[in-house]
Amino acid sequence: MVGLRKLKPMEVLDKDDLTNIHLNSLELLEKMGVKVFSKEALTILEESGADVDHKKQMAWIPPYLVEEALRKAPKSFKLCARNPKNDVKLDGSHISCSTDGTGLSTIDLETGERRPSTKDDVAKSALIIDALKGADLYYPTVTPLDFPKHAHVLHEYDAALDNTQKHFISGATYLPEEANYLIKMAAAVAGGLKELRERPIISAVACMMSPLILPLGETDAALEFSKQGIPVVAMTMPLTGATGPITLAGSVLIGNAQILGINTVIQMKYPGAPVIYSSYPLSMEVRTGAFAVSFPEATMVAVGHIQMARHYGLPSLGGGTIGSAKIPDEQAAYEKALCGLMCMLAGGDICGTIGLLENYTVLSYEQLLIDYEMYDMMLRLVQGIDVNEDTLALDTIYKVGPEGHFLAEKHTLDHTKDVWIPMLADPAPYGTWKDKGAKSVVDVAKEKAKEILATHRPTLLDRDVKKRLAEIIKEGEKGIPH
Amino acid sequence: MQEKQAVLSELENAVKNFDREAAVEAAKKALKIGMNPIEAIEKGLTKGLREVGDLFGKGELFIPHLVAAAEAMSSAIKVLEPEILARKAKRKVLGRVVIGTVAGDIHDIGKNLVSCLLTAAGFEVHDVGKDAPAEKFIEKAKEVEANVIGASTLMTVTAPAQKELADAIAKSGLKAKLVYIVGGAAVTPQWAEEIGAVYAPDANSAVKVIKSLLEARKLGDW
Repeated sequence: MVGLRKLKPMEVLDKDDLTNIHLNSLELLEKMGVKVFSKEALTILEESGADVDHKKQMAWIPPYLVEEALRKAPKSFKLCARNPKNDVKLDGSHISCSTDGTGLSTIDLETGERRPSTKDDVAKSALIIDALKGADLYYPTVTPLDFPKHAHVLHEYDAALDNTQKHFISGATYLPEEANYLIKMAAAVAGGLKELRERPIISAVACMMSPLILPLGETDAALEFSKQGIPVVAMTMPLTGATGPITLAGSVLIGNAQILGINTVIQMKYPGAPVIYSSYPLSMEVRTGAFAVSFPEATMVAVGHIQMARHYGLPSLGGGTIGSAKIPDEQAAYEKALCGLMCMLAGGDICGTIGLLENYTVLSYEQLLIDYEMYDMMLRLVQGIDVNEDTLALDTIYKVGPEGHFLAEKHTLDHTKDVWIPMLADPAPYGTWKDKGAKSVVDVAKEKAKEILATHRPTLLDRDVKKRLAEIIKEGEKGIPH
Repeated sequence: MQEKQAVLSELENAVKNFDREAAVEAAKKALKIGMNPIEAIEKGLTKGLREVGDLFGKGELFIPHLVAAAEAMSSAIKVLEPEILARKAKRKVLGRVVIGTVAGDIHDIGKNLVSCLLTAAGFEVHDVGKDAPAEKFIEKAKEVEANVIGASTLMTVTAPAQKELADAIAKSGLKAKLVYIVGGAAVTPQWAEEIGAVYAPDANSAVKVIKSLLEARKLGDW
């Protein structure tokens, strides 16, 4: 269920900070320039008025172009789903939840052992998302390592399609050819390219590079998607102290410049193309050089980016319930809770990012459900406190008097539906909990995941659509360069 | 003698102060006064790097310091290299490593980190850069008589290039002479095993794994 934000978004940057970061982003794009490995993008920028050096693969983009592109980017749009009742609105006041992705390993639900991920894991995690009412979007949690690596995107989508009717966010697409086959698959499901353009049931991540690089395949793929009206998730991932400055403002700045850069390329060629502002920074742990997605620096850069996105009026996908813990343990819980809540408080649009451990590399079915519960709890928190005649309950208070109770009052009965109900968390006292088997939340989540997998029946695709998809995948396995 | 000592101190201090320009200047001075470049490295640069490494071990300095010190040292060695070649001298090192990011991938921060940590640990590192085709690794390995080839990739779609490199190593006849180690976000231990490579999950482990192979004398001889 898409939540509605009622709390005023928290601000970590004031008005001057926002202007400062914006103006410096413009200056970087104009004066330092951006490395552009895509010939098409260079040509687009050149024809739009940027200074371009094709040999050096550099572009120096004047501020007016960047700002014109920002004006052209739509401020609200829908992420459409196979079943329209699952459409997700991105408009700054709705909050939605996606799976996190794309990992390589899975903690096996039966054995508890970590193993390479498979297409079956993609299918199963998609099925769980289909079953969870409040999970809105499916991003491939893992990549199917039991299929050819060059065609992984196609197999991810294939496995997801039958198992969830929710919108599919394709993980990073590295080649325009991958994009084309994915578009063919989506069109086959939507009923044609025209239908897909009207209701894009997929979106796709284009991951830029720090400090200031628009990579070749990702940029070309983004243009292919934009051409068909498919939303592009323009993603930045600065590593503080390594590929980005070690200071928060510096990493917010270079990430912001990257996103403005790719948005300019897209809007100059396809004005009005939907773009999502996305940020997944990582903190460097300076004693070891290891990177962490939700240590305080990374979280704050993500939050800064969410605020920049709001400043521009662009929908955002960033941070969320992520962490670097290796198993569903206490570290996973506190990393994910803190980063998730910060991003939600800051006003992120898609800020539930559930299911993965170890810096988006490992799927845990138990964690998927625990993260979902945390997200659901946070959604309730950002509803804030409604104050009106009904919620003050003054009449009922008078009726109950100083010594009565509220248990059986009509007011109570009427409002029970508003009370948050956990799927996993156990509020019972020790004795009751012990009698029920003294289960940890991970045990409970494991049982719940097994129950969903055993009982949920997704709406399958028509047989002829499936046949067509199989043909496209076959073509793709041959046609995608490898 | 005094002059030589002064230049050695300059080399050492440049590394300790993480000062690339000073390291390059000191290296030029060393050549100018006819110092043996091997001595400049071992009694100057390495001494500085060891101290930085000790402070890092004590938790007083951090990874960026280690990287900066290793980069200062590498910059100075670049200046000294032609003279080392001319004298047909060889540095006494733990091992020679050729390292790069595979063809099709330009994500190189992890590879750079491994390079610096290996340099800091006493290895001679030859970086073939990013988006590096298999031949580039092989050519360099032959040229420097490498004991280790390290290849990194961040993306699943470019992981197959690590297998191509494994095949190229087998074809080149270098397999018995060196260890092939892979890493990067897209790499699992199973993938490494599948392509017949050694796996390291991060930069620190890469150094540890290579060192332990060296101690077990599993690094090939030339």
